[in-house]
Amino acid sequence: MSETTCPRCSSAGAVADYRGVEAGALIWTIHRCVVCCFSWRDSEPPSAIGAGVRSGDFAVDAANLDRYPKILQQ
Amino acid sequence: MTDIAKRAREITSLRDFLALLEEAGQAITWSERVMPEPDVRNVAVAASRDANGAPAIVFDNIAGYPGKRTAVGVHGSWDNIALLLGRPKGTSIRELFFEIVGRWGDAEAQISYVPEAQAPIHECRVESGINLYDILPVYRINEYDGGFYLGKASVASRDPEDPADFGKQNVGIYRLQLQGPDSFTLMTIPSHDMGRQIMAAERTGLPLKIAVMLGNHPGLAVFAATPIGYEESEYSYASAMMGAPIRLTKSGNGIDILADSEIVIEAEMQLGERVLEGPFGEFPGSYSGVRKAPIFKVTAVSHRRDPIFENIYIGRGWTEHDTLIGLHTSAPIYAQLRQNFPEVTAVNALYQHGLTGIISVKNRMAGFAKTVALRALSTPHGIMYLKNLIMVDADVDPFDLNQVMWALSTRTRADDIIVLPNMPAVPIDPSAVVPGKGHRLIIDATSYLRPDPIGEAHLVNPPTGPDIDALSKKIRVMQGGASA
Repeated sequence: MSETTCPRCSSAGAVADYRGVEAGALIWTIHRCVVCCFSWRDSEPPSAIGAGVRSGDFAVDAANLDRYPKILQQ
Repeated sequence: MTDIAKRAREITSLRDFLALLEEAGQAITWSERVMPEPDVRNVAVAASRDANGAPAIVFDNIAGYPGKRTAVGVHGSWDNIALLLGRPKGTSIRELFFEIVGRWGDAEAQISYVPEAQAPIHECRVESGINLYDILPVYRINEYDGGFYLGKASVASRDPEDPADFGKQNVGIYRLQLQGPDSFTLMTIPSHDMGRQIMAAERTGLPLKIAVMLGNHPGLAVFAATPIGYEESEYSYASAMMGAPIRLTKSGNGIDILADSEIVIEAEMQLGERVLEGPFGEFPGSYSGVRKAPIFKVTAVSHRRDPIFENIYIGRGWTEHDTLIGLHTSAPIYAQLRQNFPEVTAVNALYQHGLTGIISVKNRMAGFAKTVALRALSTPHGIMYLKNLIMVDADVDPFDLNQVMWALSTRTRADDIIVLPNMPAVPIDPSAVVPGKGHRLIIDATSYLRPDPIGEAHLVNPPTGPDIDALSKKIRVMQGGASA
């Protein structure tokens, strides 16, 4: 499994949006899933971003994105 | 005028207010090194346990964000609200309520314009290679939020169909989720001014440009969260409440913005596009769902040198959300009720944006409190938010929950509790069976009042008999003689 797999929808191919650097040292990286729009920092606790640890209540089903309602429809 | 009152009138920016708060022991700088998650959230939650006296906290040593600062809890306690209003720490919530009520619509707005070249907000400007993460030390506000949120941004936008109208220009606080380095989603609903403008832009194909102000004049932040009329200006209200001028300038995309904000993000909505947004830990203390929301593309950023990123902790209460908007939710409901019912003596809608409200009223007649409650449900805020209403007598202070509980215990009769089924409801109320629709509860905890002693009803006995029958017949004959 790629290290940029989304912890919310398990899709691969998340992009790195930003790196926190201090005195030339990398402190953390912010990733973003292009499928479910979840953003996370790789320094966050496992309860928020850990595969198998994070609560399943907040998972997003990448194969069923049509289920999510669209706001402000005409 | 007291020194505090004078100082409050001199506030023009977040920095001014933080200086005032710090002098009063109501702002502290947290220089101990913290991780963005979970440390910033943990400190904010720990501070907000004291709704009366919590200080604002400025973090200036966040791992991975060298040299950047973020502030939370600026409006996070009643003492901070008191200082904003020029009143001393320890001022009671009831006194603060009547301070705001007394200022409501009482003063003329004073709007001044600062040339763009002289406005502090434009000290630094980024128009290419924009990466919001370069400027904003963001952090996850609640553990399962869908992303990094700007939770205390005042979003200014012109009416797309009437862009020259100053009053129709809206300023509101809406949750914004970063969607990459130069994009964000904005969550709103059709009844909000922003929702109305988004729908108008998409209906007409007109562009919708916005200016997202972060780190603002604390009086404007309050009114950006206040339910005022669509054609009324939040800038004017903020000036009137503060009794002092509000300094505006122009954003690069032609919107009126505060000249002294810390950061302004200019952006344009991508018409018709939606991307996944949420969940977000919202004010009822529960996460909202995942929905598809409008997305905005950032076109430029202006900011002061060494800007302060102001954000909020919002989630399960009590939080800054409640102290930021509580009194400014209560005051307009009070003013609107008093137009019809001067018997109303106070309104407490502090609890989770008014999901529970307590209204004190002098009963004009038996059952009158329930009539007032129904009127409250038809006020602009009441339509969506006032879910549970507790009506108490005028001798009960609705801001003193001990007194309210006494009234509930001693004056409530079970058959004076009303449930109104299937009413409009705020969509993120977690108790709703169907989001956006729910039941309303009115508890009449006013003391029993007998009906007016008007006496028993006696039947009227109209004249009858052969004479009346003859008269009736005569009338019909006379009618028949008339020409058609």
